[in-house]
Amino acid sequence: MTCKMKKNNIILSFIIACLFILQACEEDLPTMANYKDYSFASVDSDAGSWTPVLLSSPDNIVIADPQPTSSAAYQTELEALKQVRSSLSESQKKAIAYWTNNPTLRWNEIALELIAKYNLIPGPNEDGSYTLPNPNNPDGPPPFPFAHPPYAVRALAYMSVAQYDGLIAAWHYKYQFNRAEPSEVDPSISPDYISNNIPSYPSDGAVVAQASKEVLKAMFPLEADYLEEMANQHLNSLMWAGVNVQSDLDAGKIIGQEVASIALSRAANDNMSKAQPNKAVSDSIKASAYDRFGWQWENLESPVRPVGLTPLYSQVDMWYVPTLEEVRPIAPPGMDSPELAADIKKLVDIADNVTEEQRAIANYWQDGLGTYTPPGHWNKIAIDHLIAYGQNPIRSARTLAYLNIAMMDAGISCWDAKYYYHYPRPIQLIPNFKTIAGTPNFPSYTSGHSVFSAAGAEVLSYVFPQDAQKFREWALEAAVSRVYGGIHWTFDAEVGTTQGIQVASYTIQAAQNDGAN
Amino acid sequence: MKTLKLLVIALAILATNNLAAQTPTDAILMGPKEICMAFTYQYGSWDQYWEGTRLRKNENVATLNQQMGAFIAAIGVHKKVNLLVGVPYVKTHSSEPNGGKMAGAKGFQDISFNVKAQVYERTFEKGALTVLANAGYSTPSTNYLSDYRPYSIGFGASEFNLRLIGQYKWNSGLFMRAATAHLWRGQTEAERDYYYANGSYYTALMDVPNAWEFNLVAGKWFLDNKLKVEASYVGIKSVSGDDIRIYNAGQPTNKVQFDQIGMNTQFFLPPIPWMSVLAFFSHNVNGRNAGKFTRFGIGTTIQFGF
Repeated sequence: MTCKMKKNNIILSFIIACLFILQACEEDLPTMANYKDYSFASVDSDAGSWTPVLLSSPDNIVIADPQPTSSAAYQTELEALKQVRSSLSESQKKAIAYWTNNPTLRWNEIALELIAKYNLIPGPNEDGSYTLPNPNNPDGPPPFPFAHPPYAVRALAYMSVAQYDGLIAAWHYKYQFNRAEPSEVDPSISPDYISNNIPSYPSDGAVVAQASKEVLKAMFPLEADYLEEMANQHLNSLMWAGVNVQSDLDAGKIIGQEVASIALSRAANDNMSKAQPNKAVSDSIKASAYDRFGWQWENLESPVRPVGLTPLYSQVDMWYVPTLEEVRPIAPPGMDSPELAADIKKLVDIADNVTEEQRAIANYWQDGLGTYTPPGHWNKIAIDHLIAYGQNPIRSARTLAYLNIAMMDAGISCWDAKYYYHYPRPIQLIPNFKTIAGTPNFPSYTSGHSVFSAAGAEVLSYVFPQDAQKFREWALEAAVSRVYGGIHWTFDAEVGTTQGIQVASYTIQAAQNDGAN
Repeated sequence: MKTLKLLVIALAILATNNLAAQTPTDAILMGPKEICMAFTYQYGSWDQYWEGTRLRKNENVATLNQQMGAFIAAIGVHKKVNLLVGVPYVKTHSSEPNGGKMAGAKGFQDISFNVKAQVYERTFEKGALTVLANAGYSTPSTNYLSDYRPYSIGFGASEFNLRLIGQYKWNSGLFMRAATAHLWRGQTEAERDYYYANGSYYTALMDVPNAWEFNLVAGKWFLDNKLKVEASYVGIKSVSGDDIRIYNAGQPTNKVQFDQIGMNTQFFLPPIPWMSVLAFFSHNVNGRNAGKFTRFGIGTTIQFGF
């Protein structure tokens, strides 16, 4: 009896041990990127003279001269800073660690998460009709927006441009006024971030917090409360961390607010509101393509979507490309061409014999519904590299602004080709064809992934030439991933890559002449 | 200590889905040096699924078909201990026509190992009570992609489970059985390094929620213990996880729950008593982030000594 008990106990102990091991092996999964404060590779004290994207001059935005650090007003602010730092709570410390000394990181991350949250295609109603998200009734259903790739890249572009222009203004005033950091004024303050000796008036963190929050509120109106809360926490954390006093923050907020309203007034008039026309207009676009080329793309979903995704995205104002025509690719192969016949054969062959590696590539770059989209993926890549190379906040904002400008121009040019040529997808031309990626609701030629990725890779190659080869390989992989997925022709991917490179050259030319090199 | 007690009170093991005979959930044990091999084939389909708790259809999927061929062997290693090993082959596809044109998936799913032991037995005047415990482990036998709902053939993670089974069988052949199990599920690896599950995840790893399983069976043996007929209930209740988002594909992180009712029957062929045929049916009557499956299956078991 005793013996049996003992045996049972051993078995029980063994099972319990197994469970503990099992539980221990299950690490907590990261719900945010692992960003930390870091040392900047440069301070760019001349960045106030760089050419902004939207502002004609940094002193378009006016802030008051700061009180000298010897003044009673400043000393009062400094005391308030020391007071709050003397009893930081755990949640305040967490906020300090979260926001880091590069304010662009978390705002970019927040934008990507909102894109992933809102990148849901509206489903059909009971009667088979579809209701589109409506900015005038953002609650829906369906909620506004549907953050598809053209929407996402535009949101990112306006946010990054506002950050960049705002920081050019900030740098202009920082080095005009040269107000010392709090820790320099009072050595008893030891800030939580690595100090980079950048003048603290106005606060670059406040510029980015205010500008990003305002742009994102316009792009994701249902998130206004969340964004206000994040911006407040960010602003407070700058004081908790000991890097800014209240007047640094206030001046930064003024710049952020002003630059956001300049960016948003461009956004309000850039034709995005007309990008999703009604069925009659959509049908006439389709008919023109059929008249021109003898083919037309059809949506094959059930129930059929009456209008493809943003047929008039091509009419949205580009940033640096003067006309659509100069970057429009050549016509794709005709329906009876040997090129198309060869491609059909190739796609069928891939579908029948897809390797695990091809499947993994198709999935890795898919960035489909419910994710942060291909432009979001390239933002993540950019952030990882700008941290690796120690870019300071204004360099970071510049990288992201040109990246997103180039990708938005790329998207506009790509959508022009898509609806100008209105080329059918593989599932439309190959009987009984099955795909491992979902076929999107817009024409095939050229591939959005290819154009976005090539443009993104070119800008990153310009900014980080050491890694150019890697970026370009990734862009090619993202392009071919769509062929492996069965939803694009090889010429969609190849011509799209060339198109992306060409579109990005306009942005890169602007970057080469902005005074930051 | 309380946790330990709860664990003890808790359950036993099990493997994968809905196998019908000689499974970790039933109260059958092979004698020492006996093997029972079961081969089953089942066909399941749904044309509606629960998106969160809302039942809906999706014409881009149309009807999701799932076929499963399973092999499971129960080996008597001791008069009160059996070892069970099994692996199913699963194939999925959409019915035609459908608006999505997505490829189905197929492959060997998870290999499972179970140890089932009789831990208590008492005979009464009118019947007998048997209590069994089962501990099991399963893990994907191939590199199938779990992050490919609704076509993926499994959740793609290892599972450890403990199950407790109690059965009372009357001398008349009538029996009632109840089983409960806790399923500890590990992580599955997606082929992307970011996903959204009520917030961002910066990893390819996805937590597959742990779950409780409940099983109730009422049945009777007829024809001199040659024919068994059972009515069953199976409940799966994930304890955590996110809901499928509107008109979006599911993913392995989802909180999967369902209530399934079914019928099982097994018949031992009088001329060949070492062989039986079986048939089963089940239907999901309620669920969350699950297909409203209806399944039919047939199978055979072969028993021999070694």
